Amino acid sequence: MKKGVEPAILKGTRDFLPADMAQRNEVLAKIKNTFEKFGYQQIETPILSYAETILGKEKENSQKMAYSFKDYGERDIALPFDLTMPFSRFVAANWRDLPIPFKRFQIQRVWRAERPQRGRLREFYQCDVDIIGSNELVCEAEIAKLITQVFDELKIKDIKIRVNSRKLLNEILTGFGVEKDNLIPAIRLIDKLDKIDNTAVVEGLKKLGIKNAAEIIGVLKTDKDNQATLKQLEAYDTTDLQEFLRLSREFGVDETRLVLDPGLARGLDYYTGIIFEVVSSDESLGTICAGGRYDDLSAMFSSKEFSGIGVSFGFERIMLFMQENGLIADGKPSSRVLITVFDEGSLDGSIKIYKSLLKASVPAEIYLDETNLSKQFKYADKKNIPFVVVQGPDELRDNEVIVRRMSNGNQKKIPASQLASYIAGYYEAN
Amino acid sequence: MKRTNIRIAIQKSGRLRAKSEKLLNEWGIDCEADNKGRLVIPCNGGEFEILFVRYGDIPEYVASGVADFGIVGQNILYEDRFNVGVVKQLGFGECRLIVAAPKRSSIKTVADLEGERIATSYPNSLRKFLKKERLGATIIKIRGGVEAAPAIGLADAVCDLTQTGKTLDANGLKIIATVLESQAVLIESKFLSAKAEKFKEKVLQAAS
Repeated sequence: MKKGVEPAILKGTRDFLPADMAQRNEVLAKIKNTFEKFGYQQIETPILSYAETILGKEKENSQKMAYSFKDYGERDIALPFDLTMPFSRFVAANWRDLPIPFKRFQIQRVWRAERPQRGRLREFYQCDVDIIGSNELVCEAEIAKLITQVFDELKIKDIKIRVNSRKLLNEILTGFGVEKDNLIPAIRLIDKLDKIDNTAVVEGLKKLGIKNAAEIIGVLKTDKDNQATLKQLEAYDTTDLQEFLRLSREFGVDETRLVLDPGLARGLDYYTGIIFEVVSSDESLGTICAGGRYDDLSAMFSSKEFSGIGVSFGFERIMLFMQENGLIADGKPSSRVLITVFDEGSLDGSIKIYKSLLKASVPAEIYLDETNLSKQFKYADKKNIPFVVVQGPDELRDNEVIVRRMSNGNQKKIPASQLASYIAGYYEAN
Repeated sequence: MKRTNIRIAIQKSGRLRAKSEKLLNEWGIDCEADNKGRLVIPCNGGEFEILFVRYGDIPEYVASGVADFGIVGQNILYEDRFNVGVVKQLGFGECRLIVAAPKRSSIKTVADLEGERIATSYPNSLRKFLKKERLGATIIKIRGGVEAAPAIGLADAVCDLTQTGKTLDANGLKIIATVLESQAVLIESKFLSAKAEKFKEKVLQAAS
């Protein structure tokens, strides 16, 4: 055999076969349709970007995360590692042409130079929604409704939306004597509450000069329900959380899915208000959607201030969850009918049948090579095509066709002129 | 334009017309006899207005509130979803939505419908039936003359309304299954005026 280049792909990247793509497209379409139903508009931003527009303020962090290189013109180029930085540049460049408040969604591939693990790849899709240009809590409530609607559409029933307020967290930390400069480091530590041993968090907080560190952890607990948690936080200002919960109720968000979690921190330092984190019943999979309120999205690029709120859906993790929980059907086959070619003499007849289906907008295809019927049936089987049509010499003479339903082997002879309505009628019924 | 009367939509021509009119009389609504050809008839000195309309349009008139009430068969509400309320069953206009096949065909049971062509003017009702029976069949939508479809080679079975079964019999068809039992019902708009609410109470109290 001829020896060639190893057909290898990079770790953390994948090939998607047609069956994979059919599934992915079906899930993606549901997410996209839901975004559109809520009035969000899609945008796209370039993949090849100036590194400085991608790396942002937290350069040391993002430099490790982003794939970057120098192009032939010696320019520093980086690939987006999330959709927030590209969006913030996009807004700074295009805000004059946008309706404000602007509700955008963006579904694109992003790249991260991280060690791949379950549900975490180097090349993956994110689905972001953001509302910019409004400070009102009705935005937060709409986003909460959108989150539940997306997961309802995907039949992922058992989700929890953890909610907290960065303002509240700041107030609590300040109350415990945390200096302003230490707020972000403290929040980053608290963000690890779920992940590492609480004593380590306490130690870390002590190092930041917080004396009653153990006591803070106590205040940041989630009680048995939201009302109880609010009660436990009586000493602090929780008006925005209460108003958010009220508006979410008005939007019809099932409150048992909203969990007030005063310990929820979201490590990123640009959040300023309500923050979200969504987990499925499989908590080991991690967050499947997260985000929150930020001020001044485009500060790096423009003096114009845009406050906003947005969440990002982790498409790959959602796919993984759906596959592991049997929530995803085989994707739709590309065509519904394969028209076989019985022999050389019947090609023209088969093309005529094909044209009748094309005209009726029935997705169909004609077999494109010369071979026996059994191979053509195998092709339909492999391609998951539900109906196969045969027109032998007898049927050709009588203007008839034989339709075979692949799932049960049922065969039926009908007039060739009725094939399109037969197939269309089948899908009308199912 | 604000309307102060009570409007009731009934069938202009067909099997429900006469009984609908009789019922209106029983409810104390007197329509003038010589109303041939007129589609909107004021009654009881303008207190009521009767709309004589195409049967299939009645639910739409009531859903949109141009009529407060309407008299239709349940089958029509089963076929399409309308935002209307059902006030009561009226005890006439009984009929069945059935699936039938030629007496001499190989289709003898519901299971035999698998993969076959079924002609109907009630595609949504048939779809629900096929789904319930877990059958993969093909729906051939036609507007009328459904009973003739098997004989002329358009379909293998039919799904149609029947009262006595005579037409089916005359076309050599035999009933395989019942999709729905239906009778006439009084339907109401979801946005009734106080006056119309009062009339509804009166109708509900009247012996059925």
